[in-house]
This record gives sequence, C-alpha cells and structure tokens, in this order.
Amino acid sequence: MSTIIKQNGFTNETLDWKAWLDVVDLNKATPEQMDVLEMSHPKAKVQDYYRFLAHQPAILRQRSEAFNAIMYAPGGLARADRELSSLAVSRINGCVYCASVHAQRFEQLAKRNDTVAQVFDDPASAGTNEREKAIVQFSIRITQAPENIGPADIQALKDAGLNEAEILDLLHAAAIFAWANRLMLNLGEPELAQQA
Amino acid sequence: MNDTQAGAGPAPDLIDTLVGLAPGDALYATRHARAKVVDATQASQALFFAPGGNSLPLEDRLMVALHASLLSRSEPMAAYYRDALDKAGADAQKLAAIEQGDISGLADTRLKAMLAFTETLITRPIEGDRDALLRLQAAGIATPDIVTLAQLIAYLSYQIRVVAGLKAMKALEQA
Repeated sequence: MSTIIKQNGFTNETLDWKAWLDVVDLNKATPEQMDVLEMSHPKAKVQDYYRFLAHQPAILRQRSEAFNAIMYAPGGLARADRELSSLAVSRINGCVYCASVHAQRFEQLAKRNDTVAQVFDDPASAGTNEREKAIVQFSIRITQAPENIGPADIQALKDAGLNEAEILDLLHAAAIFAWANRLMLNLGEPELAQQA
Repeated sequence: MNDTQAGAGPAPDLIDTLVGLAPGDALYATRHARAKVVDATQASQALFFAPGGNSLPLEDRLMVALHASLLSRSEPMAAYYRDALDKAGADAQKLAAIEQGDISGLADTRLKAMLAFTETLITRPIEGDRDALLRLQAAGIATPDIVTLAQLIAYLSYQIRVVAGLKAMKALEQA
C-alpha cells in the first residue's frame, strides 16, 4: 500500500471524476458506443469521462488509439518515464485528477514515489537524477510555451542520455496530456472516490 | 480544402507535411516506427475536419483551429488553418476578428461562444467550470456537439506540441 502524498492541492489518492453534463446511458448506447468504450479503457463503462466522450464514438476511438499507443506500447522510452512526463504536465496544467492517476502509475512502474512528492512540491526542480530532471524540464517547457521549444531542448534530452526514439515517445506523452488535461479540467471535476 | 484528386489515395500525413519529413529521413523513420500514433493522429485530423457528417459547420471548426493556433503562437498551424479557411471561402469579417485577437464584436453568438471556450481551454485550462458548458448550451450547442468541440480544441493543443517538438528534433538533426 502506497504512502499518501498530499501537497499543493495534489494527491496520489484515488479520485473519481464526475461529468458536468449528461453522459451516455449504457441502456441506450449504440453498438458503436459500447464497442469504443470497451477498447478505450477496462473500466470505461463505469467512468463518467469515457461515457461523456462516447457521445462522439468515432472521435473517442482515435483518441484512445493514440493514447493507448503512446502510453503502453512496448520499446522506446521506459513506461515509468512516460508516466513521469504525464504527471509533470498534469501538475503544470493543474489537473488534480490526472495527476493522481499518473502518480499511482509512476509508483507502480518505478516501485518508488520520491519523484511524485517532488513534482507535487516543486515541479521546476523535480527529478531524482539528471535523466528525470531533463524529462520533467522538457515536459514543463512544452506545456507552457510550445512556441519556444527548439534544438537546445532536444540536445538537453540527448545530453541526459535519451536517444531519438525515446525523445519522440516523451514528446508524445507530454503532448497527449495537453489533450487529456484539457478534457478532464473542462468537462467535469474530481471527487474523492467512494469506498468499494 | 482537399487538394488531392479523387481516387489519388489518402491525403498526405499533415504532420509530416508541416514538419517537412519525408521517407528516407532518420526522423521520418523514427516517427513512423510508432505507426499507431501516426495513424490515429491523422485519422483524428480527418474526422475533425471532414466537410460533412458533423453538425458543427466546417468553417466554424477551422475558425476554432485558427484561434487555437494563434493563441498558442504556432506559426505553422496558424498558416495551415488560415489557408484552409481561405480555400473554404471563409467570412472575411470573422477571420479579421480572430486574426486581430478580438472576438468581442462578433455578431455570430454561436461562433463567439465556441471561440471563447477555445480561449479558456488553450490559455487557461485550469479555469474550466460548469458555467462555461452551460453558456455553450445557451448558445444553441447540444451536448454531443460540445463533446466534439472540446475534443477538437484539446486535440489541437496536442497537434501544436507534436509539430513544435518534431520541428525542434529536425532542426537539431540538421544542425
């Protein structure tokens, strides 16, 4: 069981998320909607987020194809590093729900949570080594000012030991959370999970 | 807005085009090794900007994209969507309002509400609230169209960053 970390309004506790508008009623869902819920996430049918997005199943399908390939595909950047980028982006954008989910995933993959506490506390200085610091720095910069990203930002990642395929995976992980955070922040809100 | 001739095959990959990636480039090979990401990104682009099959008019979707690109200071994306709007014969007054960054005088209240929502998501995503969605509903936009609009804006923020990052990678490769 993980230690609870709470800092600056962020937490690694499990949260629920409630949509502000009407979600798709599973009893009235079309076969296409049910199919896209099943391919999106193992628990999509009981989560407001996916049931709200299922109002547009074709769009949700491509979002989920991209998201799942970016976060779970084998090879390239270590999955813990992808989660670290997602966590840093969510922290910068202020997405408490996303940060809690990806804090947990980072800990599951990395078997430690020291970096989570650092990202919650002060993302600008977070990272337990040069590689993590470079990943967090890039994630912050592309979140805050994508127009200022240039070759020096890529060179900094190379200097920290990332190869081109890993840098691409990092870019995708940070960018897909520009997408995910905006939906989570603007279509509903987190609440503490009910005890099962 | 589609340059390809009928029967000429699928549209070229937009991100490859904007970044300037061609088969044979090392970065092209790296990018296309993540084929599912490339395919889902291009399929999203095709869905969001399909001429029909969407109850939000294409011109409005392109205006949202131009507004998002300008607010994000993404020159390549702004140029691309501006060109697409010109080809679609977009309303000059609406275009001028977006390019001047002042949508307050727009008479089209539905488009104005969509552009205001774009501005919040792009520049201050933390400030999202339920009232913003109710304002969209009050402007005549039903829930499924609100989902399309939110997905579109969120997708654009992804696209802008992928293009910016790949351009930086290419610049380093060529340095």
